[in-house]
Order: sequence, then structure tokens, then C-alpha cells
Amino acid sequence: MVRLSDLPEHERAHLLSKELPPLGPPAWTPQAKPLAEMRIALITTAGLHVRDDTGFGFTDSSFRPIPNEANADGLITSHSSANFDRSGLAEDVNLVFPIDRFRELESAGSIGSLASIHYSFMGAGLLPQAYEASAGQVAGLLKKDRVDAVFLTPV
Amino acid sequence: MSALGYFLERADIMTTGISLVRENAASLQPPRSLWVSFPLGRPLGVPNDPAFQHRVIESALDLLNRTDGPVLADYPEDAPGVPLDNSPACPVSFRTDHTTWQGRLNAELASLEPWYQIGRQRRDGRTLVGVSTSSIRDIISGLAADLDAARLPADLPAFKAAIEDAKAFYVEALTAQPGEYDHRQTYLTLWYTTELGAALRVFYEQFEADPKLSAFAQIVLPRDALDDKQTTETPP
Repeated sequence: MVRLSDLPEHERAHLLSKELPPLGPPAWTPQAKPLAEMRIALITTAGLHVRDDTGFGFTDSSFRPIPNEANADGLITSHSSANFDRSGLAEDVNLVFPIDRFRELESAGSIGSLASIHYSFMGAGLLPQAYEASAGQVAGLLKKDRVDAVFLTPV
Repeated sequence: MSALGYFLERADIMTTGISLVRENAASLQPPRSLWVSFPLGRPLGVPNDPAFQHRVIESALDLLNRTDGPVLADYPEDAPGVPLDNSPACPVSFRTDHTTWQGRLNAELASLEPWYQIGRQRRDGRTLVGVSTSSIRDIISGLAADLDAARLPADLPAFKAAIEDAKAFYVEALTAQPGEYDHRQTYLTLWYTTELGAALRVFYEQFEADPKLSAFAQIVLPRDALDDKQTTETPP
């Protein structure tokens, strides 16, 4: 798969069926400091969690915390979807949750620091509005952690 | 993903991120999004390639410097493909003469177990198996028991965890040998060659036939594996 236009018709139709109007008036937070001073959190919708955490349900808008010091190789996924490749994730969790890459950016001084907690959702089977409440919860947690910006990865 | 970006930004937290489906990002309009042409499941492009991953990350982080939005940028680089001739061969011959699901699935599991262990060793112990509280042998035996009795699983959350572990176990066994794999070939092997793929197709049909459970069927089988015969179209 390279472009959406290259996908089989039923797959293309499914993904395009998710074409939804904007969620509301544009939201925009201006940059207040350079990247090298920012505290960054990672959020993935790959349904990742630490091994002992409760897995995600069939449809589930809740989130799981992933401590910054967690061993990336210990993360697993309970994402419901059967429609994405898991072989790459089996090889390297950074493919969907680039925690090692961001640790390298932190060590190099390219970013200020990493959040103490990162977060994971399972993006499947629900309309975007279903995530509003849990996203609001995470926003509060991120502010307490003095996070300036979030790097989001889908699956 | 786009929705999370929007809701977080509305709470005064800057966001940037990756989009795998450009049309969805264009319609939902998250504040900053980098569209990449990589397969679903591979937003950073290439596993175990830090330089490639850093180039993607840098492009997405650059969007934080934009002064207005929403901004949807296109990443110019495709993920390199893996020539099939260079991909390691499938280590197992599938299909047995057993007449029951219990016989076929357990025989298949026995042939894959050494490869799963080799793969896990190659990945320094890393495995995605472990969502379920049951062992892979109990998972496979349980699936077979339901199929042989022609009944639907009684515990759907446990079934969901079981098939996630079963799929992860198979993918890791099929990609046990060192080398670069074409993920599409692994996908075709899993869904069109293995007894597990055949078993999940039966579960899918059973769920799909029950109006109360038809939505659940969608997590059992990939959308483009619904055809009875193997397709040469590009899977996800």
C-alpha cells in the first residue's frame, strides 16, 4: 500500500467512509518556546499498553498510561482491528511508538525533555467525538506534567 | 488520531503527528499533521531503521514551527519495499490430514512453536503475545473445541484476547528467520494458507450470521480477506 488510491476498492471505501466534517472551530495553540526547550509526550492510538495492564475492549475510548521509563520491548497491543500490519510492530515498537527515537532526541538536546507519562488509545470502531472526554482527561494529566507538545502516531 | 490532536489543542496543548490516510486528515483537520504513504500499522515507515524513523519525526516536529493552521503536509519519501526473492522462505508446510479442527490446529501449532521460540530469541525475548491470560496451547485448543462443536465462543472478551495472541504468535513464527520480510507475503500466508486463517474465517462467518454479533465479526477477519480465494491485490 502506498497511496489510498492503490488500495482495493472495499478497503478504500471503508477508509473514506470515515471522512467526517471538522470537529468544530479550528483549534490552534501557538508555539511559546523553541523545540529544544519543549517537554514532549507521545500518544499512540495503536492500543499499546504495558504487559500487565488491562487490554482494550472491543470498542474502547479509554486510555492507558505508559511510563517514560517503561521498557519499550515490554509493550504489547490489544488493538481490535484486524486491518493493519502487525509484523513491523513485532519487530520494533518504535514503528508506532517512537520512544527510543525521542530518547535520542532528548539526549541530543533537540527537544527539552520527555513527559514522565505517555498515553495510548485504541483508535477503532468509534466516532471521533467518543474520545472527547478521555482526551480531556489526558489533557489535564499532561498539563500537570508540564507538557508543551504532543507527538501523535496512528496505526 | 486526528480527533485527539484536535481535542488536546483545544485544551491549549500543541500537537503534531502522523496521518496514514490523507483524506481523513483533510476532512477532520487536526491542527498539524504529516501524511505519510506507509502501510497501515507502520506510521514511522521502517522497523529497526532509526535513521528513517528520525527523518519522519523531524518532518512532523517541524510543523510545530508553523505560525498558522490547520496544516497538513505530505512526507515525500516512500518506505522501501522488500523484494520477494530476498525475503526468507516460509519455514513451515501447512495443512494436515487431520479431520478435526483440534487435530489440524494443534498440528499446525506444534510445527510453529519452534519457529516462534527462534523468532523470540532473535528479537531478544520481545513478543507481542501476552494479551490473553491463557497459554497459546490453551488458546488454540479452545478455538478448536468451539469449531469442532460448531458453537460460538461463550466469552467474547476472552475470545478477542485469544485471537490477538494467536495472530501475534503466528506472525512472529512466520517471521522468525533473520532477514527483511515483505509484510504483504506474511499477511497472505497467515490468512490464506494457515489453518488458523481458515478457522478465523469460520468464526467470522458465524458472527456475521448473528445480527447481534455481526459488528464483532469485523475484528476477526481483515476486510480484504473476506474473499474466499487469495487475492493478488495489495493487502494492508
